[in-house]
Amino acid sequence: MKESLLEILCCPLDKHELELEDAEYEGDEVIDGTLVCTECGERYPVEDGIPNLLPPDMRDKSPA
Amino acid sequence: MNVTQDYSGLRRIRRWSRFAWANVVVTTTARVIERFLRARALRATEMDHRRAVRDTYDRIATHFASTREYAWPEVEAFLEEPAPKGAVGLDLGCGNCRHAQLLADADGIDRVIGLDVSRGLLETGRERAHEREFDVSLVQGDASSLPLTDDSVDVAVYVATLHHLPTRATRLASLDELARVLAPDGRALVSAWSTAHDRFDETEGFDTTVEWTLPGGEAVDRFYHIYDPAEFERDLEASALEVVEWELSSGNCYATVAGGERVPRAETE
Repeated sequence: MKESLLEILCCPLDKHELELEDAEYEGDEVIDGTLVCTECGERYPVEDGIPNLLPPDMRDKSPA
Repeated sequence: MNVTQDYSGLRRIRRWSRFAWANVVVTTTARVIERFLRARALRATEMDHRRAVRDTYDRIATHFASTREYAWPEVEAFLEEPAPKGAVGLDLGCGNCRHAQLLADADGIDRVIGLDVSRGLLETGRERAHEREFDVSLVQGDASSLPLTDDSVDVAVYVATLHHLPTRATRLASLDELARVLAPDGRALVSAWSTAHDRFDETEGFDTTVEWTLPGGEAVDRFYHIYDPAEFERDLEASALEVVEWELSSGNCYATVAGGERVPRAETE
């Protein structure tokens, strides 16, 4: 993801701004890192360039 | 008349009334607990359904994407109307990004977001974007709790996705979310599978599972809510979206919608 995407992205739970932490870049692409909600502190991973902004209870693997 | 007997009668009544009280307390408590457990079970089932849809698409992603080569003509027609300069496009439930590609090619649209619940499908979208050289910002997210800011989207396509949400409440929440992220002049195309399709005999909306058969012959179930057309229109009217027009086409309900007036979140929840 491009860092400028943060202008549009927000926390899916409370819709507050996200802050990028521990970012690793490849050119201008953020390949790895964590998006942290500035309000509730929920953490969302950037996995191989794609931010995973599923609400936490949908992020877990479902029981097989 | 025997005095002792009288007293024992009173004691019996007292004992009984104490028992009756205890009974009321126990029954009420049991009812509250039962209601709580049932609500929790329902929430758990709903969450299981939603995770199951995500997991299914993760499993069938590659084969599914390979059968979703072409964009829908209804989407092409919707995108013929020019977008404002520097517009943001959203493909909600983007799958392999065939419609994100149309958004990326549309005049006026500068940035396209492809959002899907399935990581597997997002990977097929990434591949398509790479092969066909268009730009899309991929985001993994849930259609009923969008990770996008208010009024950030000018043109949205929400095609063949709404019907995968397991309850009316989550479907309405997702339509409200679309209204929230649409800019004041923004518009969106919403579609869902309907009872008007040839394969269904039902005339009223219903829940079902539809099999996806993988090349090896293995069948995988996907949850669907099949809308009846009147119900589709009713749900759109009940949401914060404003219906501009709607039609039936190839067994699907289509609606062109606008963001509508902003409803404070407290009232929508």
